[in-house]
Amino acid sequence: MRPLLAGAVARLRRRRGRALLAALGIAAAAAMTGAAVTVSFNLHDGFARSADAAGMPDVIVHFDTRDAALVMGRVRSLPNLAAASYQLEFRSQYVRAPGRVPITSGDLFGTVGMRHGYAIVAGRDLSGRPDEVVVERGLADQWHLRPGERITVGDAAHGGSVLALVVGVAVAPDNVAYPLAAGARIWMPYRTVRRIDTTGTAKSINIALLWVNDRSQLDVTLEQARSAGYGLHGLTIVTREGVGVLIDGAAGIVIALLVAVSLGALAAAGVMVAVSSRAEVQRRLETIGLLRAIGASPRAIAAAAGVEAAAVALPAAALGLVVGWWAADGASARLLEALNQLPRGATLLLPLALSLLAIVALVTAAAAWPTWRACRRPTAAMLRDAELPAGSRSLRLPGGAVGLGIRIALRRPIRTFSTAIVVASSVAVVLLLLALATTLQRLENDPTTIGKNYQLTSHSSVRALPRIRRLPGVADAAQRFSTPVVDSFQLGEAFNLVAYCGNRLAFEDPPLSAGRRATRPGEVEVGQGLATALGLVPGSTLAVQFSDGDEARFRVVGIVRTLDNDGRMAYVRPDREFCTFRGGQTVIKLKDGADLASVTAALNLTGNRPSTVGGVTSRNAQFLGVVAALLRTVAIIDGLVCLYVLAQMLALTALERRTTVGLLRACGADRRQVALLFFGVAATVVVLAAPVAVVAERVVLGPQAAQLAAPYATVSLRAGTAAVLVSLAGLGAIAAGASAWVARRIMSEPVTRLLRDG
Amino acid sequence: MANLGATLRGVRKSVGSGAARRTLLNGVDLELGAGTLTAVIGRSGSGKSTLLHLLGGLEPVDEGEIEVAGVRVDRASPAELVELRRHAVGFVFQFFHLLPELTGEENVMLPARLAGDGAIARERARALIDRLGVSDAATRLPGVLSGGEQQRLAVARSLVNEPLLVLADEPTGNLDEESGLAVLQLLRGVADAGQAVLLVTHDAEASALADRVLTLRDGRLIG
Repeated sequence: MRPLLAGAVARLRRRRGRALLAALGIAAAAAMTGAAVTVSFNLHDGFARSADAAGMPDVIVHFDTRDAALVMGRVRSLPNLAAASYQLEFRSQYVRAPGRVPITSGDLFGTVGMRHGYAIVAGRDLSGRPDEVVVERGLADQWHLRPGERITVGDAAHGGSVLALVVGVAVAPDNVAYPLAAGARIWMPYRTVRRIDTTGTAKSINIALLWVNDRSQLDVTLEQARSAGYGLHGLTIVTREGVGVLIDGAAGIVIALLVAVSLGALAAAGVMVAVSSRAEVQRRLETIGLLRAIGASPRAIAAAAGVEAAAVALPAAALGLVVGWWAADGASARLLEALNQLPRGATLLLPLALSLLAIVALVTAAAAWPTWRACRRPTAAMLRDAELPAGSRSLRLPGGAVGLGIRIALRRPIRTFSTAIVVASSVAVVLLLLALATTLQRLENDPTTIGKNYQLTSHSSVRALPRIRRLPGVADAAQRFSTPVVDSFQLGEAFNLVAYCGNRLAFEDPPLSAGRRATRPGEVEVGQGLATALGLVPGSTLAVQFSDGDEARFRVVGIVRTLDNDGRMAYVRPDREFCTFRGGQTVIKLKDGADLASVTAALNLTGNRPSTVGGVTSRNAQFLGVVAALLRTVAIIDGLVCLYVLAQMLALTALERRTTVGLLRACGADRRQVALLFFGVAATVVVLAAPVAVVAERVVLGPQAAQLAAPYATVSLRAGTAAVLVSLAGLGAIAAGASAWVARRIMSEPVTRLLRDG
Repeated sequence: MANLGATLRGVRKSVGSGAARRTLLNGVDLELGAGTLTAVIGRSGSGKSTLLHLLGGLEPVDEGEIEVAGVRVDRASPAELVELRRHAVGFVFQFFHLLPELTGEENVMLPARLAGDGAIARERARALIDRLGVSDAATRLPGVLSGGEQQRLAVARSLVNEPLLVLADEPTGNLDEESGLAVLQLLRGVADAGQAVLLVTHDAEASALADRVLTLRDGRLIG
């Protein structure tokens, strides 16, 4: 055994180039794994982890500002209650700091009680001093704000203002972070908010944070809370679980895709490791046969092969995992920040260490197992089979170096086809990522992507509609009404009610996923998000409570997919009387090819000042950028897997066909012709892989990924022609690059050594 | 000798380094005339194959001058060596080195295709295959051919670009007596057709067919 191990070590030293190539492949697979583990473990329980760290309340109750004593009395009567805190939220406030661009979207929270539902990530919590504030991490990051700096909150011209000391930076996972959320949250002592908000009564609050003793009994507490909420207007009850479903839902698409991509790449890397090990065993068959002939046991030979593989795999996998972690950690941390969640930190070490063990075990087994199997064969057969299998049938293929390369590739059909499958998987994933990026871009800029077919809005009256419709470039205009409401059965669900006077579908056409369109007053189409939250199906009743306390009931006739307000939308058809007397917003649809600027100018001249409609996510460009960065990271690593797979296959071919290259060079082949030979080998793989990749993405991956996004929007994730062409061009470039690299390496060797070693 | 296929003057070549350094050629002078078959014999490891490799530009020379078809091989750039191997030199190897994916005819055509003469290569290859008596092997893959057939195809391959110099390294070393003799007679025919042939061999028959027989001993050619 010891001589065999010594031989393995000596072989590694002697064949450094080959060991390096194997190490690169293992490192690429490990990088993929490292990225997958980092992203998955950071994101998959991000909300629960952060909610625990922040001590997030089990129930958050919003209501119109009421006397604190009244609310506290009702809250104290609730069953299963462990603790409660109260806040006065004062929205859309002016916030400024030296050297920063001021904002008017500060959401101030005056706190009453010891528990605030956020986790301090820098500095400390409020101590009770009146001039202290804690700011949310989103704002701190945007403004590069640190504890110890001062900010001014509120506008002296409209109420009051306070110069406050930032004592801490906090993360509150019950909402996404600023600027993904419209408002930047700032927590301060209750009496400080009262100094800014001069409109309220002395002891008024509008938020109650509730912690329960037993979460399994939460429904009892909620039921009582709804009863106790009698008389409170604008009541919205949000549970911790509900927030988690909402926030994790959006991230879930990304996580599922990343995990799928990573597992695919991992499988691909595993196949490549197995294939290269098999090739290595084939190459060493004669040596193995000789070792068996002189009495070495199969166990010792297999163990030596395993040790040799492990010696390469351990450092390579460790390096790859670190690279993967490094590449993905920044992007996933930014995503977590956007979601107001906390990274895993050092606890990520355990899954990374387990990944290291798994990769080393896989590589070791992939080397030892085929060696063991080879050792079980008769020695004479091993010595005989060490030769390249003799061909017996000529193939009608193009001549020249490329044609010869194709023939050489087809001489090893298992290797060629398995490589093609690995490359096809990688390219399919790249195609999916490109389709995703395109979709994200469209979501950012194109309102029609999320079911809106109008480009401009204006705060005009119904009477202005005929005039607007006559303007050049305007195809149609209608009055749209949107109002925030709550479900009056369960009280906890807030959503937007939208009504159009006229043909809504001409302006807003979110795809129908169940049922039919609302065609009569009293009927409603609800968004998938709302349907999920309230368990609505066609035929259900939706009870709506308006902000003024009025209530209306609608029959659900359809479920639609919309990204607006996380799918918490309801579309109704109002009666004629409503349309005559209500205000609303004018939505304007342009003719095909109409100039947006000209129409905008014309509207301005008529006194109907328009606004451009962005996609639903236009405010969320930063979030989309973070997701896109994460996808790009995975795509780059995936592209590297393609490069490695092709380079390794070519290197194996070069190793096996040294005599062929030597002969070609002896016959006058130059570097270009040798590169073309290897390009022929690579091209065979590419030609086999390309259609498989396109079909796999269009038929399997794209539709499956679109299915994941289905609750939010109907998006086509089938790669377009441009994406296919770009990917295939990239694949061609990778094939050419890998061929040139292998040719360069083998051309640097003397012809006589190539002929002799063959 | 009016037309010289190749000349070597004061050629030295060593292999290995340090204590393991060994001088294979120690001031070799040689002239290979067109239309002659020269045989070099010597013990294993005496440097016979190295001599061929130096002439074909497959290995660099340590010292001395080598000229093939008017090209100074010892000074040639890589691109010039490629041109030399394409047009001026043909190799025949002991182990044939036919590409297993190509038919006999395609193997013969290979050097011509590499030189960009693909269009006329087929005609020339067919003529050579007929001349060397391996027409039956033209459409078959090497894996199903006998050693003799393979070596004849290898000889045809070495001639397809009509080189001035044919270098044959132990061409009969892997063949039975009958096939070996046939190959030697082929090479004799090549020389008779006007090309310079340098043959490295252990085969006594070769000496009988050669115009000159040289022995490589202690790094020097003794004639």
